[in-house]
Amino acid sequence: MFVLLSLSVSTLGCSRSKPGSSGGSSTSEVTVAAASDLRPAFEALAAEFQRETETRVTLTFGSSGQLREQILNGAPFDLFASANVEYVDDVVDAGIGLADTRADYALGRIVLLSSDEALLPGSIEDLASHRFERIAIANPRHAPYGLAAEQALQSAGIADEVADRLVLGENVSDTFQICESGNADVCIVALSLAVADGTPYTVIADSLHRPLRQALVVTTNGDQPDAATAFATLVNSPAGRAVMNRYGFTLPGESP
Amino acid sequence: MTDWYPFWLSLRVATTATVVAGVLGVSLAYLLAKGRFPGRSLLEAVVTLPIVLPPTVLGYYLLTLLGVNSSLGRAWERIFGHPLVFTVTAAVVAATISALPFCVRTARVAIESVDPTLEAAGRIAGLPEWQVAVQITLPVARRGIAAGVALGFARALGDFGATVMVAGNIPGRTQTLPVALYDAVQAGDDATARTGALLLGAIAIVILLAVNRVARSAP
Repeated sequence: MFVLLSLSVSTLGCSRSKPGSSGGSSTSEVTVAAASDLRPAFEALAAEFQRETETRVTLTFGSSGQLREQILNGAPFDLFASANVEYVDDVVDAGIGLADTRADYALGRIVLLSSDEALLPGSIEDLASHRFERIAIANPRHAPYGLAAEQALQSAGIADEVADRLVLGENVSDTFQICESGNADVCIVALSLAVADGTPYTVIADSLHRPLRQALVVTTNGDQPDAATAFATLVNSPAGRAVMNRYGFTLPGESP
Repeated sequence: MTDWYPFWLSLRVATTATVVAGVLGVSLAYLLAKGRFPGRSLLEAVVTLPIVLPPTVLGYYLLTLLGVNSSLGRAWERIFGHPLVFTVTAAVVAATISALPFCVRTARVAIESVDPTLEAAGRIAGLPEWQVAVQITLPVARRGIAAGVALGFARALGDFGATVMVAGNIPGRTQTLPVALYDAVQAGDDATARTGALLLGAIAIVILLAVNRVARSAP
């Protein structure tokens, strides 16, 4: 009985889903795996790329560590834009990244953000105060922004004091949501997410953490290496840089 | 929600996974309930593992087990010409594995609680063992089996962790409704997230009600 029901629903599902999946008709498609901090900037860049080249850009966001794991296991992404250069190197070392397309595209910055604007700390040292009961950072074990947050807490000498008040987000945008929804009093997230959201933030000095060198590479897992290279070129073109700068991303030597 | 793809994909994935997990699950349940063989308890424990493991961890193991670097993954690629992981089929595998323990455990209890005198009567009437199963045991246990399959469907429909690891979050290809919902929450797109949650809840309620009704009214 149930099988019959399932099959009827299943066939319905198949026939109806086809128009949706082939939506772009003749236009080609490039698939990009990008670190969560890139969501606002890359969504803008993807729209621009689509206008100029009529190539559809499919964006998958996640923590750089998880995306790296998926790419190493065959995920069909044409381009990998990581929040740190090491994960890109892993992909190149595994023989599935086109080494000559590997390029830095941003220096990430971290900021403090509060769910209650009135409570926004003026500096990272303020987190030692117990009026912040829960402090959200991305998981330092696989999210580069979480690692930078952890390093900044250590450099500020308050890592031990905040240790049992830390809440770990799955990735940096997850961390942002934990804070935004009021489930943490304060969080350390990417500048780009704070800029896109328009909430007030406090920038954390970049001397407190190792540089968040963000790099990208075209992978051989996908079937659109040319379109992927074109998209990578757009990111570092003057027009692309303008978008990246708008979301707080700079390159070494660029003024913020 | 403007993009209906995740909705249809989820229906497709969850129903396919339920059919597979249902057939496999009821067979396993019968084996566990009636069979007396060494390693039975171990088999049962292994079948239960997907409930115990966090879904993302389960997904990670599936990814390493079926990925392009694994022998299973390479065998698949040789036969079908493309990798298994990060396809709709991979999403079906993740949903099937997640649903299986619910089908097996519920169906097993139902099969075990069938009155043995009914089965004995069948044997006395000269029915071979497989006929006893098909004509007596399974029909008598049908409500419990339907409940297990319905639970399995609910679990398959809602799976996020295993699916996102082994099939990925690729919009328009492998992004199921729960994954799209998570993505919308991450993007701060509350309207899409709300629509997605309502849709997911609505499908689950409609299908589960339908299954209950079918199970009750069956002769």
